[in-house]
Amino acid sequence: MMADSARLGVPDPGNAPGPAGAIDRRMRATGGARPRAKQARQAWFFLAPALLLLLVFTFWPVLWGSILAFTEYKIITPPTWVGLQNFEDLLDDPVFFISIKNSLLYLVIVPVIQLGAIVLAVLVNNSLPGIKLFRAAFYMPVVTSVSVVGIMWGWMYNEQGLINAVLQWLHVINEPIGWLSDDRLALFSLMLVTLWRGLGWYMVLYLAALQSIPKDVEEAAVLDGANRWQRFWRVTIPMIMPTILLCTVLSTLSAMKVLEEVLIMTKGGPVSSTYTGLYYAYDQGIRAFNFPRALAASMVVSVFCIGIAWLNFRFLRPRHR
Amino acid sequence: MNAATANLRRRASTTLHYTVLVAVALLCAFPLLWTLSAAIGTEGNVFAFPSSLLPQRVSLANFIEVFRVVDLGRYFFNSIWITFWTVVWTVLVCSLAAYPLARLHFRGRRLVFAVILATLMLPTEINFLVNFITTTHLRLVNTYAGVILPTLAGAIGIFIMKNAFEEIPQDLLDAARVDGASELHIFFRIMLPLALPQIGALVILTTVTSWNNFLWPSVVLTKSNLMPLAVGILELSGTFGSSTRVIAAGAILTVAPALIVFFFAQRFFMRGMEGAIK
Amino acid sequence: MNLPLLRSIARLARWPLMLLAASLLLACDSAAAPDKVHVEFWTMSLKPKFTPYFDTLLQKYAVAHPDVALEWVDVPWDVMQTKLTAAIVARSAPALVQLNVPWAYDYALVGALQPIDDLMGEDRARYTDGAIADLTFNGKLYGFPHYNSVNVMAYNTALFRKAGITQVPTTREEQLAVAKQIRARTGQYGFSPALGKIAGVFLEEGLPLIEHDRAVFNSPAHVALVAKLAAAYKAGGLLKDKLFSEDNYPASIDAYKSGRMAMLEAPPSALTRVRDDAPDVYAVTDVAPVPIGGRGIAAGGWLFHFAMPRDTTGRVAIEAARFAKFLTDDQNQLAFAKLAGAFPTSKKAAADPHFQNLPMDAGAYGKAMAIGAKSMNIVRTLYVAGVPGFERLNKRLQDAVEAAIIGRKDIQTALDDAVAFWNTKLGK
Repeated sequence: MMADSARLGVPDPGNAPGPAGAIDRRMRATGGARPRAKQARQAWFFLAPALLLLLVFTFWPVLWGSILAFTEYKIITPPTWVGLQNFEDLLDDPVFFISIKNSLLYLVIVPVIQLGAIVLAVLVNNSLPGIKLFRAAFYMPVVTSVSVVGIMWGWMYNEQGLINAVLQWLHVINEPIGWLSDDRLALFSLMLVTLWRGLGWYMVLYLAALQSIPKDVEEAAVLDGANRWQRFWRVTIPMIMPTILLCTVLSTLSAMKVLEEVLIMTKGGPVSSTYTGLYYAYDQGIRAFNFPRALAASMVVSVFCIGIAWLNFRFLRPRHR
Repeated sequence: MNAATANLRRRASTTLHYTVLVAVALLCAFPLLWTLSAAIGTEGNVFAFPSSLLPQRVSLANFIEVFRVVDLGRYFFNSIWITFWTVVWTVLVCSLAAYPLARLHFRGRRLVFAVILATLMLPTEINFLVNFITTTHLRLVNTYAGVILPTLAGAIGIFIMKNAFEEIPQDLLDAARVDGASELHIFFRIMLPLALPQIGALVILTTVTSWNNFLWPSVVLTKSNLMPLAVGILELSGTFGSSTRVIAAGAILTVAPALIVFFFAQRFFMRGMEGAIK
Repeated sequence: MNLPLLRSIARLARWPLMLLAASLLLACDSAAAPDKVHVEFWTMSLKPKFTPYFDTLLQKYAVAHPDVALEWVDVPWDVMQTKLTAAIVARSAPALVQLNVPWAYDYALVGALQPIDDLMGEDRARYTDGAIADLTFNGKLYGFPHYNSVNVMAYNTALFRKAGITQVPTTREEQLAVAKQIRARTGQYGFSPALGKIAGVFLEEGLPLIEHDRAVFNSPAHVALVAKLAAAYKAGGLLKDKLFSEDNYPASIDAYKSGRMAMLEAPPSALTRVRDDAPDVYAVTDVAPVPIGGRGIAAGGWLFHFAMPRDTTGRVAIEAARFAKFLTDDQNQLAFAKLAGAFPTSKKAAADPHFQNLPMDAGAYGKAMAIGAKSMNIVRTLYVAGVPGFERLNKRLQDAVEAAIIGRKDIQTALDDAVAFWNTKLGK
């Protein structure tokens, strides 16, 4: 399934203009039941609604935003071109560096979340009694609205909140821990929420991949005398490699672009310790009315996203394909 | 190795298996379970542990209070309405776009697909500002169309449907084309019915995201009689807000529908995702 | 395009399209009649508590002004800035919006709000001088004052007794010492100062941030105050939850209600929540003025008002101003203030017997109102005005003080660095 996306950007020889393609097309156009020109027209017709919506609501804002990033624009006066000034301002702001550093640090949850999700998927990939209940329990956080996540985890992380109450009851700690109020911990506390929200989602994707592994492959490995551990590493993992790639890319991108957790739980504090790249952009745009700088910051985040996605493809792409 | 030890080992491994499952399930469900018990309890310190997990006196008073202070029925209806139309149009738009990407030949096919996938990499999270301006120009502020339209064409949805269509045997298409069926006929009569499992997955996925969508509706809707539950619930907190238990009851009422849908549609969802992930 | 294709699309899309059209119509049905002036106004987090209040008020106004169609929108605190900024950029802002002073100042600075001196006219004299001064930026008036709050200090007498405290603190210094003692003797927190608005904390103590266009908050007095806060923090005397957030109110009221914090600095309305949610704590609650050091300064001033976005013009502006004056007139302010446990900004309402003859023995809430009412006329919203790019400067100050209080940085160094940064920006 990842074949297409893994080859992103590689020109398709079949569609490349050239003598062979042209002849092929002409032959079909005259002889085939459905001429190619007509098929192409219909293809665009089918694509039109989606492309139109993407154009208006995704590409236009990105394009317009990219232009605004090079201007000075203070809501009431029209934007004026200032070149790289906004980017220089970013370099001048220590909070921006903290934000990018935190966004990169956030990537540590990617392997944790992926490994956890794979293990969970393996554990629920059977028909033991009650297994559906477990799957539903793991998926519960995924279907919980952000506004509710913010309220609930606020209660969990409070100084006198639930997590401290549990730990004190277990006598693990004597003093309550400031999960969100300690600048050394707050970012990790947010990561835990992201982990909590994401585990079930990736588990479902992996579970689907596991269930599509043909039974005979597994059985052949059993006959070869492989134990569970070996089967997991030599059969399961290679078989779900495309899914691992997909999930890793998705979770890398969403980790890099984390915003909601910060917005609902810490608003960047304490001591700017939980600013992330996109929260910085949000804060600059909404609270400081500095749209150009906000957009410049979000452009920097996208550059990181593209780079990291490229690295993912480079290292995780199945080689035998 | 004799049968008795083998049996013992199997039992031990099953026990371990369940222990891990129960532990992780508890961790995942803990915040929600506690919220539930805070919502149905009426007295005592909400944050005490473990006493707050097992409320001594159970009542629905907090839920009734939620209905009393906010127009929950209205929000509920709005959420259902928005979610329903988002799902219908998402499935239509995404499968329409996915079909040519999977099965038709035209120049620029790979480019179009690459461009669609690239939207995953763009920081679309802060697009909402420009989108709000666009929505204003289209006169769609305070309409459901304004809430729904920007969410319809999603890369994930197109991706799932494209994979679904690629699974369908070429023979079926060729036979239909020889019979002179139009592409639209093929799309609705052959492709869509055969992709039902993946459509199911997309439906559930969209239902959940749309139900929980928060930031965009809160920007584009200003009138509270139009707001969905995920936004309206915020009225409970705030300076003149309600007590922890009432907010907890509101949180439970917001989450419950999505949970129930997922629980009952689980099998369908799994089958669909399986098709999508292959 | 080929016809069968179109036809089958039309057939298939018919019912969803029809329903979508119907839903669009449904959404538009509340649009005002064209001959009426449409005045939309936003309030901040007043639903659901004040829904009946506004409903009656709007009905009354509609009868008297049949040519005006009013539309009330209440926006939760969390999303107010997001929505308002988006609306201003898209030029679809409401005619009036309820704001607090610092936010209004930020919006006014970029020209998103308009001065209302002309629209206010002679009615200016009806409002308290403090409120008018709060809303005057660069010599121009930017809002119709609505309600204000004054903080009082509620304290848990049971915790005080347990900690052996017999004297209610009357200065910050004493209060910080009490906080430490409470922590040491009872294991609970002392209080939660509003460190998320650190500029306000300095100003309450009469310590200026800027003098003669230079930042001066690294003086020995400033350092001493931060040092005392840091010592109390280190001793565990300050509630850590949300200590540095802009709004630490929900966290501190929760802590106070559960008996885990001894002193609560809040507007009197907080005591009604304590009374309703935690009667046992309310029973042992007593109230005193907030112990602050500055002269003639009342703590916790936080003025709400109705501001006018710049795109409100012509007849709409005139009608909006008329309505804003109605909303904030003597009678309506009095009714609102009574309901909210807040304080009015209209001189007549403030002179009402309700505020002037409050009995001191009417329970903690009554006492709080009585104490608050005493400083109602001098209360100001404390923030720094007249500094371009203040948002960024404030962030730097905030970060420096936070780092100093939690012991990540030496206090003097942290403040020196922030002062240096301010002065490079102020010098420009």
